[in-house]
Order: sequence, then structure tokens, then C-alpha cells
Amino acid sequence: MGRDLIAMLDGCQHRGPDSTGFALYADGADDLYRLRFYVGEGAEAAVSIARIKEILADKGAELLAGEQVGGSFAASVRHAGDVRPFAYAMEHAAKLFSLGHRLEIVKDEGTAHEVDARYHLSAIQGTHGLGHVRLATESAVRPEAAHPFWATGFSDIAIVHNGQITNYWKWRRRLEKLGFEFRTDNDSELIAVYLAKKLSDGASLKQALTDSIEDMDGTFSFLVSTGNEIGYAKDRLAAKPMVMVETDQLVAIASEEVSLNRLFPGQALSTREPLPGTIGTWSR
Amino acid sequence: MVTLDLASMSVRDANRRLRELGEAGEDAEILNPDARHHIGVGLVHPITVRVRGSAGYFCAGLTDGARFEIDSNVGWGVGDNIYNGTVVVGGNAGAVAGVAIRGAEIVIKGNMGSRAGQVMKAGTLLCCGNASFMAGTMMYGGRIVILGRSGEKLGEDMTGGEIYVAGGIDSLGTDAMEIDISSDEVASLQDFLDRHKIPFNGHFRKVVNAGTKLRYTTPEPTLRNQSCTQASVGGFWNEKTKEDIEVKAVTGRYRVRGYGTARAVPHFNDIAFRKEIAPDADALSKVNLAMTLGDRSGAKPLSLSMPVLIAPMSYGALSRSTKLALGIASRLSGIAENTGEGGMIPEERAEAGQLIFQCLSGRLGWNVRDMQKADAIEIYISQGAKPGLGGQLMASKVTPELAAIRGIPPGIDLRSPSRHPDVLGADDLVIKIEEFREATGYAKPISVKLGAGRVKDDIKIAFKDGFDFVELDGLQGSTGAASAEVIEHVGIPTLAAIVEAIEALDEVGAKKNEMPIVLMGGIKDGVDAAKAIALGAGAVAVGTAALIAGGCISCMRCQAGYCVTGIATQNPQHEKRYRTDVEAGNIHRFLESMRWQMAAIVHGLGKTDVRQLCRDDLVALTPEAAAITGLPFEDRS
Repeated sequence: MGRDLIAMLDGCQHRGPDSTGFALYADGADDLYRLRFYVGEGAEAAVSIARIKEILADKGAELLAGEQVGGSFAASVRHAGDVRPFAYAMEHAAKLFSLGHRLEIVKDEGTAHEVDARYHLSAIQGTHGLGHVRLATESAVRPEAAHPFWATGFSDIAIVHNGQITNYWKWRRRLEKLGFEFRTDNDSELIAVYLAKKLSDGASLKQALTDSIEDMDGTFSFLVSTGNEIGYAKDRLAAKPMVMVETDQLVAIASEEVSLNRLFPGQALSTREPLPGTIGTWSR
Repeated sequence: MVTLDLASMSVRDANRRLRELGEAGEDAEILNPDARHHIGVGLVHPITVRVRGSAGYFCAGLTDGARFEIDSNVGWGVGDNIYNGTVVVGGNAGAVAGVAIRGAEIVIKGNMGSRAGQVMKAGTLLCCGNASFMAGTMMYGGRIVILGRSGEKLGEDMTGGEIYVAGGIDSLGTDAMEIDISSDEVASLQDFLDRHKIPFNGHFRKVVNAGTKLRYTTPEPTLRNQSCTQASVGGFWNEKTKEDIEVKAVTGRYRVRGYGTARAVPHFNDIAFRKEIAPDADALSKVNLAMTLGDRSGAKPLSLSMPVLIAPMSYGALSRSTKLALGIASRLSGIAENTGEGGMIPEERAEAGQLIFQCLSGRLGWNVRDMQKADAIEIYISQGAKPGLGGQLMASKVTPELAAIRGIPPGIDLRSPSRHPDVLGADDLVIKIEEFREATGYAKPISVKLGAGRVKDDIKIAFKDGFDFVELDGLQGSTGAASAEVIEHVGIPTLAAIVEAIEALDEVGAKKNEMPIVLMGGIKDGVDAAKAIALGAGAVAVGTAALIAGGCISCMRCQAGYCVTGIATQNPQHEKRYRTDVEAGNIHRFLESMRWQMAAIVHGLGKTDVRQLCRDDLVALTPEAAAITGLPFEDRS
């Protein structure tokens, strides 16, 4: 799956040469969490990792394995109890890219192939995943500003999004009043937390996505994934591209057919474009 | 037939081969297209191209006279802007199929995505399956035929043309209505379907423009309006404010007027050169002002005798004679002219030594033939007078001649779309620029025109998207017509714009003048130009100043087309008063005065090249200018 995502992202790298990111889902266990931090390199990394270990111990979590890969620190942790306070504590300790039983987010500066060279993603086997290429407009091209975004505080939920949510602050204030935390001002993180809250309240992914089309203003095409499901929503203005192909073996969704075709070189695909204001979900 | 295999060849190389084959009269087949973008872009010969698979964005775009057969799907903007030619798509088409076509026949056997036929002018777009959201939005002419079902908002804000639907309509858009179809039309549609061997035996419903939004209901009274150049506009309650209120009391809406902002904002008058300038009558021979513009990507750059351009102004806003005078003056002064929105007129092309061809959202007058005659291509995103809005041209100026070159119905109050049909983000823009480069063989500089709003973000995007240069237009930028509200209250001043732009370029690590900024918006002479360049601009562009030099009396009737001097009008009686050669001479002499001023400043500051001007040469005269520019504030009173 790592190899497929790399090929698809390479196919649309023209849309964003600055950074590339992956959300990858592999098999997991209910009492184990995978945490992926961005720690940088050298002395800076050592300080971050020490701090991570300290807070893990403080929260009663057992570090089973920890490995530095590229600029990241991948931790396998046993933890019982509420996930949200634990996730927030870890998120305050260091730059936490993802937390989940199955999810790991890897994102950094550079192209899909450059990130692969640093993080060895092509070998990764998995069930489903998301990818994103980014054109950065803010001051620095920082890894933590890259996509995909994790739904901060929630296990296993990730998002990639193309577009702009124009009622961002309205929803951000509402969610913050309910006690949810945000680590960026990015509207993609907002959608992730918005959906994660719905899911944790017991909504199905289908219902959460349907609600999002009512609640989110602006232009958007996004993909969301959980431990078991993947889904999309597309705004009513149909301003952002999305095209998909579905076979007995897989479902692949991308901004452009050229990305889908990377999985099937030389073949003419039977693709479809989701209609404005629609959603779709698949489970494994 | 020649076979080109994209498994072992780039699209750029394949397109180069296709152009050669077109000239030689040979057809081609494309293997392993794998949905790649820009296949066949820029072909202007009667060649047939068969694509064995799916094509990506802008397949067959910016072509004239070719035939394309695509076995499977196409991405966004199939057949973009085709003048003449045929495209047959075996599968589905993405969004904006047939965007801005001017005479093509496009046949899509499957479904088509949203906003199909946006701003199309002529030709036929046939979809045998279902059409998504907003088919025919803002179309100006031609016909869209949908054999399946149409999605919501069919014909939203269409201006002209016809839409025929056989399979049901989810909803009609604003200002669209259903009317009866004539037997002649049915016969013409059947003939088209037969010609393309499409079996059909249903019935069509016909949708056209309802005509409720094409003209402002109450025209503005034709007063001799208060001029923006009069001092009386400076106060709080003043003659201008009073006039605005009186006119709104008649029309009940915003005012539409020409010119730029009428109020004072911090500008180049508020900064000065720090050192005494040593006068030298012979300065011109002692300094270099010449430069090239637009070679960042290896295209053939513009060659300018000094860092000055004529700002983009359209044939439409301005009379043909005025465009010619600007072209002549630009040639005499060795600088570049710009078509603005309304297309390229042949005489202008002939007179201007170097001409930038501008592409706007409505694609009015836009076409591949004129692209190939241009010296540079410019995509307009917005302008200083009205960031976020498209052009306005009141009905009195939309004459049959003008409508023909723009490809629109005559006599409407033309309001161009506020955004491009196929550029809805920085990522789409990358693909659009590449289309322009393919259509012009990577030989012409591609620039972007930006109104100053979120300058930092916009400049970073422009840099990353690979533009060769930027024309950046501040709040003071003028226009032929815009609502007074946006002229006065939207955007940031020119002075702030250049400062932010240079900061943005520093932040993304651009080298000095790697992507030059051509600054405009209230540049009134060579002193302003020198100050702008000292702040980091690569060059400046003059619009209003050139018009005043060429006879504009600031009578404030630009938008109505009653310009008595024959400049901002399409009325032949008024235009007769305009003496093209005399005014070209006046504009040329004004441009030469700018040259002399810049040379005197460069030399007077002890430098030999205009590019040596820098921030250290400047001081701010007011606290506001100091805050905006970061220049030291010295009270010289």
C-alpha cells in the first residue's frame, strides 16, 4: 500500500511540490497505541524524545518500542483508560503527528519519493491509507503544517482536504467550548475533529459526512479515514476535483485520474466523479 | 498515421511532434496516455489525433482546426477555448468541459462534470449522458445539448446561447428560463446527432437566458460628474460625496465609475530620496535603464529600454484609436504594451513593438492564434481597482464590433466573471500555466496580474507556480468601470503592496528580481518609478498617467462611454475627435520624461544602473509611510 500511495502522489505532485504526507493503516491491537511524533534531528531530537518518555511514564503508559525514523519518533505504547486526556498530554509534550491503534501519519518536506527515501514507506503493507501533496504559502515549509491531519485527541482518525472552509472560526469556537483542542489553524484539522466528535457521539461515518456538507461552508473535497473505514465528502459548489475508480480489489480516489492511472499503467479506467454535495464510505 | 507512445515520451515532446505532424499534414495516434494533462494543446493545423485511453486536463485545449478522438475519459477543461475543430470523447469528461469554446464541436459519449460550457461563445457541446451541476453557467453563446439528465442550476447566469436537455432538469439557474423549441432547431439538433452517429429519439426542452439581469434597470443620470482630480473631494462632506448620494437616490444601487480611488492614502509622495541629488543635464547617457523581463523559465524575455510598461487596459474600456496611440507610444519609447481584457486588435499588434496578451476569467477575445502573436502571456487574477471582481463594461460601450471580437451578445451591461472557470486554487493554476506554455512552445514569458489584497500569500503562490514576472496593482489602480465601493474600500495601497511582495519573496528564498514585480497603481511619473524600484520593484507600469498624457481630461464619464476626448468611448462621433498620431506623440514624450527623471535620480545618487537603487536611498516623510515601509522617518519640515 505504501508503494501505491507513493505512485499516486507522484502522479499529482505538480499540485504541491513543498511537502508530502501519508496516513497509513496497518493491523493493530486494542490495548496498544502507535504514536508518531516529529522530533527533528540531532540534539533537538534527543531532548524531544526524553520529554516524550518522561510524559509517557507520567501518564502510566508503557513504552514497548521506540524508533527514530527520518525526523520522526515512532513509539509503540501500552495504555489503558481515556484516550483524549492521554493524547492531549502527549500532544503538549512534543509535536504529535498521529495516535491510534492502527494509524500512523508520516509527513515531511519534499516530494513523495524524497519522503519515502527518508521514511521507507514503500515497504509498508496495510489495509488503507491517505496521501497529500502540499503547496505551502506560509512563511516556512514546516513538516507539522503538512497534511494529512490527525483528528487531535481521537484515535485513528485522519483527513486530507483540498479547499477552504469559510466558517472555520465559528466551528472552531464551538468545538473549543466543548473542550476540544487544536494544534494548528488549519481547516483540515477542524474537519477531522468535527467528524471525530460526531463519531465519538455515536454517529456513523456516513451520517457524520452527511452532516458535514450542511455544516461546513466553503469549497472542499476531502477524504477521511478511521481504523476500519474510509469516506469522502464533496461540497455543493463542486469547485474542487475528485475522481475515483473501484474494482473488486480496491477503491482509489484522487484529485486527478492521472494519479489513479499510476496504479494501472496503460489501461483506460472506468472512473467516476462524485456529484456535488455527495458523500461515500467504504469499510474493510 | 504516426504513433507516439507516452510510456516513453513526455507530453511536451509529444506535443512538439504533433505540431510538426500537423504542419506536415500527418495524423497521429497517442498510446499509453494514462490521463496525462495537456495532450494536443496548441495545435493549429487540420490534424487528427487519436488518444488510445484517457486524457487529463485541457486535452485539445487552445487549438484551432484539429480533430481529437479520445477512446476513454478526459479531465477538466476538455477542448478549452477551441476556435474550430472537433473533439469526440468516448467516456466521461471532468469539470468545465468545453470551457470558453468559440466554435468547436465537442461530443462526450458519457457524463460530464460540473460547470460545462462555462463562458463558451459559439459552437456545440454535446453530452450523451448526464450533466452535473451548473451546465452552461455564464455562457455567452453557442449551444449545449444534454441527452441525459441535467443537474442543478442549469444555465446559471447565462447571457446568451441555448441549452437543450432531453432527460430532465433538476433545477434552472438564476436568470435562465425554459421556452418552446422550434421545428428548425429540432432538425438542426437531429442533423448534428446524425453527423456524429448518435442514435436518439427523445424530445428536447430548451433553456435560454431570461434577460432579467443583462442590464441595470435605471441608468445613472448623465451628469458632468465631480472629478477625482479635484481638490474638493478631499474633505469629509464634499461635492463628490454629495453627488454620490444624489445619484444613488435615483438608482438605488452602488455607483459604477471609472478612475481610481478618490481619497488620499499613503503613497510615493510620502517617501523621498535621502541624499541631495546632483543635477546633470547629461544623466541619460551616463546610466543604464534598459532591462529584460520574463526569462525566469527560459522563455524569450521582453526587452525594455527602461523599467516601464503600459498597464493593461482593454479595447472596450478604451477606444481603438487610444489603444493604437498607446501601442505607437510604447514602440517609440522601446517598452511593452498590454492588451488588457478585450482581445487583441490587429492594428494594436502591428503598432506595439512588444505586446502582452491578457487572459481573463470571461476569456473575452482570448484565443490561441493571438497568443501565438503575442510577446508575453498574462493571466489576470485581479486588479487594484476591484480585487475579487471581474471587469464591467456598460452597454453603451458594447457595440456590435466590440461584441464580435469578445464573442458576446452586443448591447448588454457586461460583467465579467469574478474568477476563472478552470482556476479555483493555486494547484489548478499550475496546470493552467503549463497549458499556456504548451500552447506557445515554452517560448513566451507568462506573467500574472494581481490586485493587492493578500499580497504575501499571492506572491508566494505566484513564485511557486513558476510565473516569469508579476504585475502587482495597488489600491490606487484605476479602471474603466467598477463599483465605487470596491474602488475606494478594497485592497491595500501600492506602497504597502510592494513592501509585502518583497518580504514574501525574501521568505521563499527568491533571489533579487528572480521573479520581478512590475508595480502599478497610481504611478504618476519617473520619480515614483525610481522610488518603487528602490523599494524592490523590477519595473513599473503606467495606465492613468499615460491616458492623461494622451488627452484624458478626467471628465469621469469612462464607464458611460461618453468620454468627450474619444478615449474611454466606443462612440464613433466621440472617437473622431481623438488624433491618434498627436496623442501617441504626447504619450511618448511623457514616457521620455519618465526616462529622464529616472536617469537623473540614478545618476544624481552616484549610481550607474537603475537596478542599483535600494531602500537605503529612501526616507519616509510621514509616520504612516514609515510604518508601512519600515523606512526611517525624518521630519523635514
